[in-house]
Amino acid sequence: MKRAANGLAAIAVALLCLAPFAWQIFSSFQTELGRPSLRNYVAAFQGRPFGQIILNSLVVAAATAACCIAIGASAAFAIAKLELKGRSALLGASLACSMFPPIATVSPLFLLLRRLGLQDELAGLILPYTTFALPLTIWVLTSFFREIPDELYSAARVDGCTPFRAFRLIFLPLAGPGIATTAIMVFIFAWNEFIYALTFISSPEKRTIPVAISLFATGQTEPWHEIFAASTIVSIPLLIVTILFQRRIVSGLTAGAVKG
Amino acid sequence: MHQADSPDRVRLVFKYQPLGPDPAPMRDLLADFERQHPNVEIATEQLPNDADSALQYFLTALEAGADFDVLVVDIIWVPMFARAGWIADLSQPFPAELIRHDFLAGPAEAAIVEGRVFAVPWYTDVGLLYYRTDLVPRAPRTYAELKQFAAEARRKDPSVQGYLWQGRQYEGLVCNAFEAIWGFGGTIETEQLRIDTPAARAGLGYLRSLLRGGVSPSSVGSAAEEDSRRVFQSGKGVFMRNWPYAWNEAQAEDSPIRGKVGFAPLPTAKGEPGHGALGGWQLAVNARSPPARRAAATKLVAHLTSVQANLSLATAYGRRPARRAAYEDVYSLSSFDKALYPILQNARSRPLTPYYNLISDTLQGEFSAALVGIREPEQALRRAQQQINRLTAAAQ
Amino acid sequence: MSPSAGERCQAYALVAPTVAVLLSVAAYPVLATAWLSLHRLIIVFHDRRFVGLANYASLFGDGRFWSSLGNTCYFAGAAVPAELVLGLLLALLLDSAIRGRSALRAVVLLPWAAPTVISAKIWMYLFNPQSGPIGATVLHGVDWLGTPTYAMWAAILLDIWKTTPFVALLLLAGLQTIPPSVPEAAQVDGASAWQMLWRIKLPLIRRSIVVALLFRTLDAFRVFDSIYVLTQGGPANTTETLSIYAYKTLMRAGDFGYGSTLAVATFLCIISISLLYLVALRSRLAERA
Repeated sequence: MKRAANGLAAIAVALLCLAPFAWQIFSSFQTELGRPSLRNYVAAFQGRPFGQIILNSLVVAAATAACCIAIGASAAFAIAKLELKGRSALLGASLACSMFPPIATVSPLFLLLRRLGLQDELAGLILPYTTFALPLTIWVLTSFFREIPDELYSAARVDGCTPFRAFRLIFLPLAGPGIATTAIMVFIFAWNEFIYALTFISSPEKRTIPVAISLFATGQTEPWHEIFAASTIVSIPLLIVTILFQRRIVSGLTAGAVKG
Repeated sequence: MHQADSPDRVRLVFKYQPLGPDPAPMRDLLADFERQHPNVEIATEQLPNDADSALQYFLTALEAGADFDVLVVDIIWVPMFARAGWIADLSQPFPAELIRHDFLAGPAEAAIVEGRVFAVPWYTDVGLLYYRTDLVPRAPRTYAELKQFAAEARRKDPSVQGYLWQGRQYEGLVCNAFEAIWGFGGTIETEQLRIDTPAARAGLGYLRSLLRGGVSPSSVGSAAEEDSRRVFQSGKGVFMRNWPYAWNEAQAEDSPIRGKVGFAPLPTAKGEPGHGALGGWQLAVNARSPPARRAAATKLVAHLTSVQANLSLATAYGRRPARRAAYEDVYSLSSFDKALYPILQNARSRPLTPYYNLISDTLQGEFSAALVGIREPEQALRRAQQQINRLTAAAQ
Repeated sequence: MSPSAGERCQAYALVAPTVAVLLSVAAYPVLATAWLSLHRLIIVFHDRRFVGLANYASLFGDGRFWSSLGNTCYFAGAAVPAELVLGLLLALLLDSAIRGRSALRAVVLLPWAAPTVISAKIWMYLFNPQSGPIGATVLHGVDWLGTPTYAMWAAILLDIWKTTPFVALLLLAGLQTIPPSVPEAAQVDGASAWQMLWRIKLPLIRRSIVVALLFRTLDAFRVFDSIYVLTQGGPANTTETLSIYAYKTLMRAGDFGYGSTLAVATFLCIISISLLYLVALRSRLAERA
């Protein structure tokens, strides 16, 4: 009985999420002549290196996620499990960085990246993306590490394990769901970010997807059919990454590692 | 062109907005220049069409000292960019008298700041009234006629909307509002920036009456150019105020209103032809562009604004030429542009002041408040005037 | 057993990269903006003058600041609780044993993963009073996007649709860390569904809830993209949030002095609210535990 109710709810939720996109997908197959065709999908790749653009977004988003996890997971472990002086201050300071309106940071960052020689480079995007996604990473992973019982660490310590080894061999594998969740969130944030991508990247072959889509509107008309086709195309890699990662969310702690 | 003293290869960076879906004609135009100047290589970088995004990029990049060479500027940005020192003084290669002589009056004046030339007009735009030839007898000359024709057409077919224009809170609303103010005989002097005038009150009142009286549908309050055009093009509108680009779209192969559309100057209160808001973009040279590239950049600007370039851009992308000579070339010019010429000559510019963006933001808010009914036009204009006075005083 | 020197060293080494990155890349813009907020600077006029706290003083008399603050609070106050509740329900659904669970989890992320511009445009179409599926039918032809108050509700609905998946994802990850033995034991003890939720599951995921609440509030207070594409702050500045006001001041008028002040003011508001949260939640959760 409960299962049937849940099943219905699931269908309703899926419809609510997908319904607005139904119009997008429907329009993407339409042309001005009214007959459905794949012309818009082909047109998305003409006149612009769209494949390269998708690759750029993939590289930037994946690199950002990887950096965030690498830097953030170690810090989160230290904050959660080791008696680190000033850990509340660190959590608070990182949260404070997330409180600043991004628009005010564009100009100073532009100057900073120029000085670092990273202007018009993908690395010049990865750096600020990682920085501003770190707070969320640290907070989520800290809360995950805190869920893991302290006895695991004290037991390892007794066995002569250093913090580094404990982190790498014990806690990192156990935090699978948290890492997968954070990776998806950071990936999507970097994938969709617009203002920095517009200001810091100027070469056409280095553009990322949100800016490239905003460049679809040439002339004074808005070619919505093409834009929707492009948007449908770019949601495919996103869906693949999401499906890959959300499997990881399921496994992990529930595999019975915490029997004590 | 002196081949003997050509320096090593020069690489120019040209920042512009894509003019149309087909990049080939623009590329040919640039390749043409490269052929004539073999030591010059042009790299193009595109900006989004959205003027806000482009402005945001320029503000950040130019203030930080980016040194791209040639850039497009919106016609109302020139005084602002000139005062900021971001664009170079081009009075040497393009003297003011030359600009005034060669180009239409509106774009020419917009490119000249305190007697010095800071940009060269590239293409131009003007606000027009479109009407359905099968639904109304002729183009209305007065506001009363417009309301009357719209009502009659709607009586015959209740599913069509009367008058479609742009009432969203953005720059387009300022254009529409100024056109209404000018339609009541008002002017907004650049020196004094007086917006709280009887003509302005009448203009805003007229726009509000269009919404109140049902002549315009409620969606006008959140409509931009494309929203109006889409409704009109589907056949569901009697009148539309829009830019010339809508004509090509209306006459496209598959347009439901092909052959049933006419265009005319905007109507006014008393019946004389209305002034459309002047739009368009100019080309400028970055002041930070080093002297070694400055000469080539200037030549590129001259090439892109030549008569041939004007005409080819008109054919390829439907961009209205800014040069007078283009309109005298009866063979190459389309019939649309020929008919548009008198309306273009009558276009009026929004105030040309470095404070324009400051005051436009205020005006957008107050005009929108008047339209939506939060404030009466008198009060909205009074508030706008107070804020404008405060802003311009404070900025000095 | 207190940590040895070596252990302490390793602990600091583990957080060193974070501190380095945050100090070098995040601190500079924040400090630069704070410094600029103490100046009068309209970049077009290139007249940079140190004015101390004068900009902050004029904030108090700036009606537009107060109304944008009010709009932002209204937006956050409506969107965040709704997203939290709906996100929790969605997370519970995704956690339960239904068929097609993995597919649903991917589908549910689509609203949040799609580019904001596209989503906003889709919703503009949906709300169109003449031809939109919602606008013409449910809303009886009222132009929500062109009417004060209703425009804000359209923005709130868009935000709820868009970011509930984010909250659900966070809470789902929390739910997944609950060992299955716990709810099983509770069921053996005869707990009802409501008790299961309120007494068992919620307390166990309280850390995830706090993180979700905090970060959603931060983001709701800094909201820019979705509202800007939808209404650009209109009609008549009734949907203008703090970020939109700051954007227009910085990037349209080029007023970097006052725009920086607005950014810092937003920052201070968010800090106050977060402190309130943390204090309130700490005491509440301490009671419970």
